Amino acid sequence: MITVLLAIFIPFIAACLVPFIHKILTGRRIGWFVITIPLFLFILLIRLVPSLSNGASYLYTFPWIPSADVYFSTHLDGLSMIFALLITGIGSLVVLYSIYYLSEREAIGRFYTYLLLFMGAMLGVVLSDNLIVLYVFWELTSISSFLLIAFWYHRKQSRYGAKKSMLITVTGGIFMLVGFLMLYTITGTFNLQELISMREVIAADSLFIPAMLLVLIGAFTKSAQFPFHIWLPDAMEAPTPVSAYLHSATMVKAGIYLVARFTPVFAGDTTWFYVVSCVGLLTMLWGSVNAVKQTDLKALLAFSTVSQLGMIMSLLGIGSLAFASSESTQIALFTAATFAALFHLINHSTFKGSLFMVVGILDHELGTRNIKRLGGLATIMPITFTIALIGSFSMAGLPPFNGFLSKELFFEAMLSLKEANLLSMDSLVLLFPIIAWVGSIFTFIYCMIIVFQTFFGKVHAPAPGQRPAHEAPIQMLISPMVLGSLVVLIFIFPNLLGTYILGPAMNAVYPQYEGMPGLVPEIHVWHGWEMPIFMTIGVIIIGILLYGLLRYWKWIYSVGFLQWTLDRLYNALLQRIERVASVVTKTYMTGSVRDYVAYIMLFFIALVGIGLLGFQQFIFDFSDDAVIEINESIIIFVMMCSSVAILFAKSRITAIILNGVLGYSIAILFVVFRAPDLALTQIIVETVTTVLFLLCFYYLPEWKNEYKSVSMRIRNGLIAVASGVAVTVIALLVQGHSMYPSISIYYETASRLAGGLNVVNTILGDFRAFDTMLEVLVLFIAGLGVYSLVKLRRKKGVDHPEEK
Amino acid sequence: MNMINLLLFPIIIPFFFAMILMFFKEQVVVQRVLTLIGLALSLVASFWLIATVKTEGIQTVTLGSWPAPFGITMVSDMFSALLVTTTIIITIFVVIYSFSSIGVERERFFYYPAILFMITGINGAFTTGDIFNMFVFFEVLLIASYLLIVLGGEKRQLRESIKYILVNVISSAIFVIAVAYLYSIIGTLNMADISVKIAEINQPGIISVIAILFLIVFGIKGAIFPLYFWLPNSYAAPPIPILALFGALLTKVGVYAITRTYTLFFVHDIGFTHQFLMVLALLTIIAGCIGALAYFDLKQIIIYNIIIAVGVILFGVAQMNTSGLEGAVYYLLHDMLIKGALFVLIGIIIYATGTSNLREMGGLIKTHATLGWTYLIAAFGLAGIPPLSGFIGKVLITKGAFEADHVIGSIIILASSLVVLLSVIRIFIYAFWGPQKNELPVRDQRTYRQMMFPAIMLVLITVAYGVGAEWLMPYMTDAANVLADPSIYINAVLKE
Repeated sequence: MITVLLAIFIPFIAACLVPFIHKILTGRRIGWFVITIPLFLFILLIRLVPSLSNGASYLYTFPWIPSADVYFSTHLDGLSMIFALLITGIGSLVVLYSIYYLSEREAIGRFYTYLLLFMGAMLGVVLSDNLIVLYVFWELTSISSFLLIAFWYHRKQSRYGAKKSMLITVTGGIFMLVGFLMLYTITGTFNLQELISMREVIAADSLFIPAMLLVLIGAFTKSAQFPFHIWLPDAMEAPTPVSAYLHSATMVKAGIYLVARFTPVFAGDTTWFYVVSCVGLLTMLWGSVNAVKQTDLKALLAFSTVSQLGMIMSLLGIGSLAFASSESTQIALFTAATFAALFHLINHSTFKGSLFMVVGILDHELGTRNIKRLGGLATIMPITFTIALIGSFSMAGLPPFNGFLSKELFFEAMLSLKEANLLSMDSLVLLFPIIAWVGSIFTFIYCMIIVFQTFFGKVHAPAPGQRPAHEAPIQMLISPMVLGSLVVLIFIFPNLLGTYILGPAMNAVYPQYEGMPGLVPEIHVWHGWEMPIFMTIGVIIIGILLYGLLRYWKWIYSVGFLQWTLDRLYNALLQRIERVASVVTKTYMTGSVRDYVAYIMLFFIALVGIGLLGFQQFIFDFSDDAVIEINESIIIFVMMCSSVAILFAKSRITAIILNGVLGYSIAILFVVFRAPDLALTQIIVETVTTVLFLLCFYYLPEWKNEYKSVSMRIRNGLIAVASGVAVTVIALLVQGHSMYPSISIYYETASRLAGGLNVVNTILGDFRAFDTMLEVLVLFIAGLGVYSLVKLRRKKGVDHPEEK
Repeated sequence: MNMINLLLFPIIIPFFFAMILMFFKEQVVVQRVLTLIGLALSLVASFWLIATVKTEGIQTVTLGSWPAPFGITMVSDMFSALLVTTTIIITIFVVIYSFSSIGVERERFFYYPAILFMITGINGAFTTGDIFNMFVFFEVLLIASYLLIVLGGEKRQLRESIKYILVNVISSAIFVIAVAYLYSIIGTLNMADISVKIAEINQPGIISVIAILFLIVFGIKGAIFPLYFWLPNSYAAPPIPILALFGALLTKVGVYAITRTYTLFFVHDIGFTHQFLMVLALLTIIAGCIGALAYFDLKQIIIYNIIIAVGVILFGVAQMNTSGLEGAVYYLLHDMLIKGALFVLIGIIIYATGTSNLREMGGLIKTHATLGWTYLIAAFGLAGIPPLSGFIGKVLITKGAFEADHVIGSIIILASSLVVLLSVIRIFIYAFWGPQKNELPVRDQRTYRQMMFPAIMLVLITVAYGVGAEWLMPYMTDAANVLADPSIYINAVLKE
């Protein structure tokens, strides 16, 4: 199905074209080119909706790295469709909005390049069927988000936020990759659809739980779940269209997508349920509680996003219980939770998108988004106010908005847990509805803050240099208006969405229950006087009360553990790592070659020691050894004396002469062993070096005996002796282990083979002449080195040509 | 045409051209042209070699036609052919980069001959089938590198090069000693023959001790934990093009030698030798990570990344299964290319800002946008962000580790990617995005563009290397197969 492939690649191609087209369509007009991309793709995709709701799905594969089982396969089913429509739909609106949001002075071309890059990557994530390809796009979304957050890179906070978000999401991505590789080790495939069909095999493997947890870490970091949520508030440094698009509607939902996608693979085990739903609920509570204390509207929305994502996550967790159930009534009960999750996912994108755009408008028109400096805007900006009201009330779960419907379903799902007799019903699970309810109260409170503290109360004087408040231009209002109307429309026609969009997605999450009655429940605005509606009423009453009394209890935020934020942990960790690394590295990197050699030799001694002791093969065999002649003993004795004497030499001349003695003695040994070539070479080398040394010494200052502490001398002495012992012991050992006749037997027929009478001679000059030639080359290069060292001296002062 | 000497060409051609360059000491332009011609011819020969090895299998030639275990045999399997080719590619671009950056003085003092001699040594070390001959090639490349590291005679160069030389002399001494030990037991120097004989006696304990000795020798060259201490400061001393060559090529010779000996010789007691190699590889990664975060100096950051990469590659080798070895080969070539690219890039950053201290940089993206984006791509490539070149290698290595049940190790590998990412992205954020700290020195735009050309080309090659993984995979598989099954190598050398 080539359409799907197009959907991924068109944004990338467009991203490459933007810099060029920007030269023709200058200024903000480039936006009109960009907007055609998501719009075109949206239309392309939505035409496939009817066929998907008839049960079709589109799989298309072409090989990328087949030898590593990496196929570029795309799969469009109901679940991908929801996300693809959000990406292209909200994408179109965001681009439209951004055309008037960004000022002409800014690097608009760069902005749209990144945005299209992200769009392509995000479509890639939701449309890939191959895990590796999915991971590729997953990291690309992190990178494009990094670039977009730092769009105003001259701000320190932007750079900080960009780095933080990338580090956290990429970390998660890497963990996820490890999980994927584990799945591959179990199944031998990277293809999602095949993995789903092999769920029994996966569940039986010992890597099942680690793989599950690793994949979840990926999902949690991306979807800003506790405790990884800390990057999202800082990501708000991005331009508002980016926040609306990446950090509320699409990218942060990639984790949700991943969890929904992997539900059929992992959900059979209740660990999945516990981890996903607990983390989700905790995030929901933590996010909503923290949102209330924010004064920056964007930060408030960020925490609210965190909270809402947690809510969706917890619903998916409950939905997974359907896999562990066998009764059909229970299955329907739990699948309804997943249904609620997907439904709320769409609703959240609509109302949160519109709210972000509203905040962007406020920021754009008033130059501030601090609620303490906003107020009384309801009459000045009536349209903006209406949109904000719709968005906030929907988020608070009030009718007649779509948020009400999904909130009711959320409560219902939480309450359904007590029906689950399959769990060892612990108190933890019974706490779920209570946590959900408390979280909803705080959600209600911050929604009220958005509406009332911004749009009611007293009007503030405009900030210096700002025009007095006025309604935003209509071009900027179109996008939030569209989203606002969707909020209402979905409330009126929820089942249209249910049948065409959510139904196919449910089939994707629950492949084995496909077509089961009740899998796609009908959404009712009114279900009678039941527990969920009482909970909603409770939320409203207590929410209003607490909102009214906000200033009396807000001090809670300034005490105790609530002050202690994970942000500080992250900052401290990053700083600490750099400092500790620096201290550690500088401790052992002393710059002294004596230390480096000591490390090397200690390691050498330690290893040889361990090796020998470990094997305990002390076979010494001297039987074959030649008799040591008296002249040989004398030469060796001379060598030993001179080498020991060097250590006690008081002047350079003495040292170098003793060194010469050592060298010439070796030459004599070569003569004794009938290797005249070697002896000659050795004598020449020894003579040249001694002469050179003496020549150099003429220019050198007096040889000062460097002061070294006694302990240092002992240390060095021990290392030296131990190294010598180690070398000798192994030498004797290998002598005892001689297991083959040497190839030198062959050379003994040298006179016949090579026409030479001396074996060493023929080896050097014929059998291994290649070595000899190269050794000559070595000497030659050494000569060049000495020559250039003497001749080429750079002037003082400048050290590097690059640093001139 | 039957060209049995083909595998010698990438060794002999640089050697030959280096000799010719001697006659043109003062004519810098002639030297440049001849160097490029020599390298281009070597590249053609090495591509031809790859094609020949692909179709006809391992190429061998025994010098002087002395039969195999007695004379010196040169062997080119896919692994060594790929390494030879990559070496030449990197050298070409670094040489081009040198034209505009190294300075005429150095060019007049045997800069290009030294590079070509070093290439002779490196390619020889990659190609030789004789353990003593490998020692000799090591000497060639080391002595050429000594020449390069002191060339110019700056104070810092002299101070650091003496350490470099001392450490390498010690390692050479241990190398000879280890070869002598091995010869004393096995009685042969031909690598295929050594492999056969070790297999016949089933690698007794004493051979494993020698295996560890070899690990120390090559580990000093390859900069593994705890033998890398000499490297960071020594490498930072010479000018950037030399640093780029050292960083991209020299440590890799050590890595190659470990890989070769640990897949051809010492394969019968993996529980000891390879377990040991794996632990050292992981410690190397950790030590490298700590170092990469410790500095605010561009050169040091990238230099410590060399050490991390060495650890990653050797971890792959230590798995001793096809995936791990394939990954190691893939990652090794990737790392050579990307390190070459990165060093050249930071060279340009240093050229543009006049400093290598990160804290004194900022705001470069406004004036040097191309440099910024090229650097960012290279940085992501290094960190293994898909689909760039570092990714596939790491995935294969991790896959290999899972197959060998080394889960913790593979997690360390992937976690190190994060540190790598942090360390290189820090450069981008500080140097390109941060506020401009100092006035930029005035630079010649033409020189800047000339420097950018090799940088962009190298980055493009790495991108192609990553995205075109499938096209390269058969070659990687061939290389890994020989490593995984020593008998292929043995049969090719000791046929008839």
